[in-house]
Amino acid sequence: MLKIENLHVRVAGKEILKGLSLDVKAGEVHAIMGPNGAGKSTLGNVLAGREGYEVTQGSVVYAGKNLLELEPDERAAEGVFLAFQYPVEIPGVNNTYFLRAALNAQRKHRGEAELDSMQFLKRVREKLAVLHLKDELLHRAVNEGFSGGEKKRNEIFQMALLEPKLAILDETDSGLDIDALKMVADGVNAMRSPERAFLVVTHYQRLLDYIVPDFVHVLADGVIVESGDASLAQKLEEHGYAWIAERKLAGAV
Amino acid sequence: MAAALLEEFGRGDAREREESWRYSKTALRSLSQQEFVAADTDAELPETLRAQFDWPQTRGRRVVVVNGVVSERYSDFADVGAMVTVGETGGTIAVRIDGRIDEPVHVVYVGVPSAQPSRWQASTAMVVVNGFAHMIEQHLGVDGAGVLGSVRRRIDLGDGARLDLVSVCDLPESVSLYRLLDVHLGAKATLHATHVLLGGRMQRLDMQVELAGEQARLESRGVFALRGRAHADTQLDIRHVARDTACDIVWRGIADQRARGIFHGAITVAEGADGSDAKLSNKNLLLSAQAEIDTQPVLEIYADEVKAAHGATVGQIDERALFYLRSRGISLAEARRMMVTAFCREVLDGITDQDLRNRLAGLLIPHVDGASS
Repeated sequence: MLKIENLHVRVAGKEILKGLSLDVKAGEVHAIMGPNGAGKSTLGNVLAGREGYEVTQGSVVYAGKNLLELEPDERAAEGVFLAFQYPVEIPGVNNTYFLRAALNAQRKHRGEAELDSMQFLKRVREKLAVLHLKDELLHRAVNEGFSGGEKKRNEIFQMALLEPKLAILDETDSGLDIDALKMVADGVNAMRSPERAFLVVTHYQRLLDYIVPDFVHVLADGVIVESGDASLAQKLEEHGYAWIAERKLAGAV
Repeated sequence: MAAALLEEFGRGDAREREESWRYSKTALRSLSQQEFVAADTDAELPETLRAQFDWPQTRGRRVVVVNGVVSERYSDFADVGAMVTVGETGGTIAVRIDGRIDEPVHVVYVGVPSAQPSRWQASTAMVVVNGFAHMIEQHLGVDGAGVLGSVRRRIDLGDGARLDLVSVCDLPESVSLYRLLDVHLGAKATLHATHVLLGGRMQRLDMQVELAGEQARLESRGVFALRGRAHADTQLDIRHVARDTACDIVWRGIADQRARGIFHGAITVAEGADGSDAKLSNKNLLLSAQAEIDTQPVLEIYADEVKAAHGATVGQIDERALFYLRSRGISLAEARRMMVTAFCREVLDGITDQDLRNRLAGLLIPHVDGASS
């Protein structure tokens, strides 16, 4: 589904990703772990198509297409979703209006019929329940006045509503208490399916107790330095990221 | 030549006029270099223009002023009832409202060009003796050789009266308009005015409001949305004269391409107008690097126990928000439209009639739409 090869990305003149390769198949959950500054968020942003991220080398193929050539909205319509680390408040734009516009824009792009407001609201209610979000949030402006936890749950709610094929979760666990973390994990687990892949970017192992990944990759200084199964996250938790750095050094010697 | 127009378009003494036209000097000079003939007050209105004002909701309560003169052919005020009197004395169109009018009165000013550039003038006076009135005012024009219009209006609200005024000026690029709105508010009178300024070669709105009676209140909402080479200049001059008067001003400005917008908001709280409350918020959005907006809030206070707050900003569209919307599948054009509509929301929210509010929001869209040059 997603094949990243030798990806080099520069941000504000500085090379952040330095030859990252990753192969994600449908139905798989990959966790990307790493210390601060390793390039975790850069990966999510470059896949979603944010401006200011310059790809200097390498390729990203998603569902047989060159992902890097697509506009951010085209990527979304093709099934790529980024749950933001810092969801943006947009005063004056009503949440319901925004979600319906987004869903219908994607459906239109895919040649599907747009949903009318009744069909849309039915779908919204189903998904809200899973994330224990209040109806009232729908009447507010996008993320405006939401608590940190509400913002993160709102991201997962949007994911549930938009039903992407590839979901990238950028530190969705940061700033969440244990109850909110469980709700987020429930939301993600409910969506796991053979057709859908997840890229879970996180600093801590904690989230992975609830969303058990098929693969864990350690990102350090712009490259993946170690890959393994879920037990790798456990080892990292015990030994810390310094352990990886040491192993890398030992390997180099 | 520019001096003649300056004499005609403005208020205050020569120095004040000079100063208030500071940002629009070039636009005024370019107009003054043109030769104008008198506009044809019996001009035919094209069907496309009639469609712009022929709203089913206001049939029977509509006054159409063509190049400065009330047009019998296009006006239709059969249903305004006995409480509204429309007349014309000494070249001034006079509207008098005495009582409570729930249905809006619709006044349309149209500038229609001749073969050569032409000019027209109108003068209106509206008196709301008491009660409540709702008025929709529309300024329209037809593209062509160019028209320069000027409208001077006086509105008097008696003690306890309320007027809800919605004023939309949506002009094609060859049409220019000068407007002076002179408002006098009696005790406990309220004016809620919403101004929408769109397009035009040059449009200027001078709005002066005297809060003359105790507890008089002004709620002024406004937005200009400009693109191409449109030029709009808004000058507010609010005077608190009596005790416990209030003004609440919320204006927004948007300029795209090579457009130019000016907002000047002056509030004076005179000696003795104790207990007054003055609020002004002006935010502006530049959608292109070539666009320009100048904003200038001015607050002068000579009274005691006055509450006053004012703020003005000029900024750009929030790129993070734009990306957030796009990352959910919304196209760049639609995302921009959503952001700009949201930016204007506060201005239109004060309009209780939902159809009217949607109509105004719809009028804004073509002025903010599409990719910037």
